[in-house]
Amino acid sequence: VSGPSQLRIRGGTVHDPANHIDGEIREICVENGRIVASLPDGVPSLDARGMIVMPGGVDIHAHFASSSCNHARRLLPEEHAADPASAPDAGNGWTPRSGSGGTVPSTFTTGYRYAGLGYTTAFDAAVAPLLARHSHSELEDTPCVDGGIFVLMGNDEYLLRQVAAGERERARDYAAWLIGSTGAYAIKIVNPGGVEAWKSGQRNVSGLDDAVAGSRVTPRAILETLADAGNQMGLPHPVHIHCNNLGMPGNAAVTLATMQALAGRRAHFTHVQFHSYGGPGWSSGARPVIEYVNAHPEASVDVGQVMFGPATTITADSPVEYLLHKSSGRKWVNIDIELETGCGIVPLVYKDKAAVSALQWAVGLELFLLSSDPWRVVLSTDHPNGGSFLSYPALIQLLMDRSVREEKLKQVNPKLLAGSPLTDGLPREYTLNEIAIITRAGPARLLGLKQKGHLGPGADADITIYGRDADIAKMFATPRYVIKSGVVVVEEGQLRRAPPGRRLWLRPGYDDAVLPDLQRHFDSYGTVSFENFPVQGIADDPVPSSP
Amino acid sequence: MTPSRVEHVTCLGCGCGCDDITVTVNEGRIVDASPICPIGRTWFGDGQVPSNVLRSGSPASLDEALAEAAALLVRARGRCLVYLGTDISSQAQRLALGIADLLRAGVDSATSDTAAAGLLAAQRRGRAGATLGEIRNRGDALLFWGVDPTERYPRFLSRYALEPVGTHVPQGRAGRFVISVSIGADKGPTPADLTWQLDPKEEITAISLMRASVLGHSLPKSAPQLARAVEVSTRLSQARYVVVVHDGEPTAERRDPLRVEGLIALTQALNQPTRAALSSLRGGGNRSGAEAVLTWQSGYPFAVDYSRGYPRYTPGERGLERLAAGGFQAALFVGSPMEESFAPKAFSAVSTIAIGPRASQARFQTRVAVDTGVAGIHEAGTAYRMDEVPLPLRPPLSGTRSAAETLRALTDAIRAELERSGS
Repeated sequence: VSGPSQLRIRGGTVHDPANHIDGEIREICVENGRIVASLPDGVPSLDARGMIVMPGGVDIHAHFASSSCNHARRLLPEEHAADPASAPDAGNGWTPRSGSGGTVPSTFTTGYRYAGLGYTTAFDAAVAPLLARHSHSELEDTPCVDGGIFVLMGNDEYLLRQVAAGERERARDYAAWLIGSTGAYAIKIVNPGGVEAWKSGQRNVSGLDDAVAGSRVTPRAILETLADAGNQMGLPHPVHIHCNNLGMPGNAAVTLATMQALAGRRAHFTHVQFHSYGGPGWSSGARPVIEYVNAHPEASVDVGQVMFGPATTITADSPVEYLLHKSSGRKWVNIDIELETGCGIVPLVYKDKAAVSALQWAVGLELFLLSSDPWRVVLSTDHPNGGSFLSYPALIQLLMDRSVREEKLKQVNPKLLAGSPLTDGLPREYTLNEIAIITRAGPARLLGLKQKGHLGPGADADITIYGRDADIAKMFATPRYVIKSGVVVVEEGQLRRAPPGRRLWLRPGYDDAVLPDLQRHFDSYGTVSFENFPVQGIADDPVPSSP
Repeated sequence: MTPSRVEHVTCLGCGCGCDDITVTVNEGRIVDASPICPIGRTWFGDGQVPSNVLRSGSPASLDEALAEAAALLVRARGRCLVYLGTDISSQAQRLALGIADLLRAGVDSATSDTAAAGLLAAQRRGRAGATLGEIRNRGDALLFWGVDPTERYPRFLSRYALEPVGTHVPQGRAGRFVISVSIGADKGPTPADLTWQLDPKEEITAISLMRASVLGHSLPKSAPQLARAVEVSTRLSQARYVVVVHDGEPTAERRDPLRVEGLIALTQALNQPTRAALSSLRGGGNRSGAEAVLTWQSGYPFAVDYSRGYPRYTPGERGLERLAAGGFQAALFVGSPMEESFAPKAFSAVSTIAIGPRASQARFQTRVAVDTGVAGIHEAGTAYRMDEVPLPLRPPLSGTRSAAETLRALTDAIRAELERSGS
């Protein structure tokens, strides 16, 4: 796969918020996969007059390349049959692949569809350490997007033992070893302690100070240990937290308690829409959650918006999926993963006439519309939990166009919306620059990806060019050009090339003294040899750690 | 020559995926493997495999053979079968599926009909499962449903299910209650803490009654078998973590296809009073890997047809059946062709290309046969355990032709042929 090694993008209106460029007509110069300040005359050029130029999109939280996703794919033959994906038109020496879509598309189709959406970086946000090797294989078959995985911690036996013993330094060394061994980019905590509670018969935890499975460990201690570990290691992205009590009425209280427990520590709270409900019945709890975030620069969030339509819930938070299965009657997968975590899957449809779906939809929009710092509030649907990533353009339209939003609001079930800020008429409309922040510049900055999310010299040449369209959703759904590492991937709206993505992963240092103890743990309770556990042969070198 | 040793080798003899094997090699032969079970001993053997390249039965160069293979397959584009056999790595499986996509082929795999029934049932209902280590660490009540793993999965009981000490089962075997159910000739393990002999005709009713009992329905008194069903389900409901073990592969007794669906539903139901997982015993050779790769590349775990230019699910007619019915003009058999179940006549009736370990010894006629190494013995890569945990392969031997490299070369030859033929 090749393209011109040099390219000048002329005449486009550039939105590059990281470099304080808000809708200026500028040239963007590309050389050898990077942005450069200038190019000599006569190099190939792309006429972007009348178009909008942004950095490639960055998905900070999605589920698309994991063993859990593969269980979900397997569960959904009916979705795949309804959305066959022929191979794109070949050309340029590239052999495209066919696949299937639905809420959990096959791997090649996932890569092509991300590119077709103008996204060039994506992270799978929940990978069990034991199954990281599987994720790396899937990522090799997911072209067009750079990225990697977040490794699941917080219900892992070895960590819980260290937390119980107060061995925080050993916990940190273990976390560092685990990130490097699994080829991960960040630590992901899912329902700290709750998955272990589910597996051991306690069913779940509900508060930060609940004892986990009869031990001295609490969700609070897990959160503190891992947040400190991540920050002490200097990880580019701080701990990525899925709080306790996902999807429960009244859970905003535990979400706020979690944020307060980590006050002063860098932390990212994910899909907060699913964690921002008032109680004891169903109501919006968005305002206190987002107001806390607004006031605390060390905290960041992605929203996890619910979009009406089909979705598939895939999460390591397996106790929640059991409840969802019981309440929805839909088919249900549960996989307990030894010594580490869980996996639960239930397909769903969010209906605008269903009261809880409507509330979830409103809560997500409220979080966006009441936020004061777009750099810390990222656009996500927790793909495919709140809806497919293909629904991002429709979400952008809801944020940018108050009239579209209010028209939709009239159609949804209002039963649980009393007192919801959205019903008071939130006038805010996101600007293009704010959209550029919440879909690229912001997530890149929160991920510590210095070469992503902007168009300054030295950045990766990941660029999306949109044709202006009064229909915002259509504009964002069908970019005219997408350039990935300098390669023109989408041309005139057609996918023309599919270069492999680059793996973004870390190998933090740790004290070797942890290894003999870890080996004993594997020998005592594992079923895979300690020596066979680390993923080998990742194509790209780890991202160098910055001091 | 001094013998050399390779540690932490993964065995693909059955689906247990034991990765604790130390293999000793002397003068290019495997002379010892330990710890090893009878199946593993046979699977490793001495590691000697043929290294022929045959074109219509006569020796040929690899380039000639692959060019001929490409020409035959491209001519049959839209009417060929790609069969994923055993003993190839998932890297090779991925390449084979890429070829199937290019050729608009039908795809079949070593997924047995009983395993396929399990996959279909799980697509209707979902399932409650666990990785093997959870059985080890948590299982305190084990229900063996018509299977004694000892013969076909020899180390299952010692490594995973019964004997080992687990985080939540510190007494090992003594901490586990074993219920052994025999269904006709499909015997459960002995000794057990509770045994139950069921006539195959009673089986599905018994599973339904157990599920009703687990869900708390009160059942009217009737036959003695019913009383046993209630007794067993009560015992299970009182456990902390139940593991239901059944054989995903075919056994001596003709099996009611509703068995697996019943067991899935029972295990799911057991998660109301307690926690429970279903463990489906599966054969080796990385057949679970083929299902994983098929799923991530196509969306379906087996029985895929690319003839329309995108994958379609055709579980109602497996590729081998369609081959036997004359539905294909050519076939690409990837993997080891040594199993009894392959329809030799059907493969002989079309232009068949065989690439894999011992391809030249296939019992069906081949137009092209290319011998490769065995995944895990000669070839590195990844293979999947029966619980879909991916394991690295550390080949103790080297020097054979690589299946993955051969398939990569065949892909290039097919691309060139497609360009030449303008399709």
